Amino acid sequence: MLAKLPQIIFALLVMGAVFGIAALMLVVLHQDWEDVLLWLLAAVMIGSGLLVVTMRDIIRCGLAMIVCFLALAGIYVLMGVPLLGAAQVIVYIGAISVLILFAIMLTQTKDAPTRLVFQTQAGPASIAAIVVAILIALAVSATDWGQIERGARLGTEIMSRILFQQFLFPFEIVSVLLLAAVIGGVFLAKREPGGPS
Amino acid sequence: MSNNLDTYLILSGILFAIGSFGFLARRNAISMLMSIELMLNAVNLSIVAFGLFGPRADSVAQGSVFALMVMAVAAAEATVGLAIVIAIYRNKKTPLVDEYDAMRQ
Repeated sequence: MLAKLPQIIFALLVMGAVFGIAALMLVVLHQDWEDVLLWLLAAVMIGSGLLVVTMRDIIRCGLAMIVCFLALAGIYVLMGVPLLGAAQVIVYIGAISVLILFAIMLTQTKDAPTRLVFQTQAGPASIAAIVVAILIALAVSATDWGQIERGARLGTEIMSRILFQQFLFPFEIVSVLLLAAVIGGVFLAKREPGGPS
Repeated sequence: MSNNLDTYLILSGILFAIGSFGFLARRNAISMLMSIELMLNAVNLSIVAFGLFGPRADSVAQGSVFALMVMAVAAAEATVGLAIVIAIYRNKKTPLVDEYDAMRQ
């Protein structure tokens, strides 16, 4: 417990800083609730995304990925597409994250956390990622999107009508694709009789 | 801030850059798959943002349906990718990608 004290203090400091800036935005700068919530969720999403790619223990990386997906689901709800937020929680947190956590448990060796986490190209990779982020930000802010209005809040009825009328054929194709992926996954991960262990 | 397309697009660009860094830099194959999931989420966010600020009345619904399809494809990709990782782990006894050198000799 005492050895973890610096980490706990650091986490409390980070949380305090995030909530402090949010309170500052809300009270002093008179932003409205949606902006402050979006800022909070974006900070949580980016922070836990950075934890996913930098932490040493891979199980903690998987748990940080769940936090990242949850913050993104919150952003979807803020954007006015709550059905997509629900699908994000069900598909990503309920299915994909659990699948990845199972795969981590199946493939972890005893000495894995103590060994090197990054490849030798980690330095150039970080530079390339920062350059990509800056280029995207510059390109987005330099583009004139014209007269755009924010769309209305999306109800389930309109979305299901679009999904099952206009996009019925892609929907069926996706179901075939999922079936093929299930069969392929079972076939690939199956233990061959007489094979190694 | 939340009524601006740029905010969402820059957010998704940052998340995509984080994912690409993880994909290039991590040694563990499952970490690389998690980074791919981060990148797919970033693309999903930008699709939904473009739909939200789209020109037509039903472009919000169209963008959301597109994002749902991306989610389904991501689920299929995760299934097959993790099955491949488990199958390789059974033969090589390591999840680290730089020790997979069977085709290099």
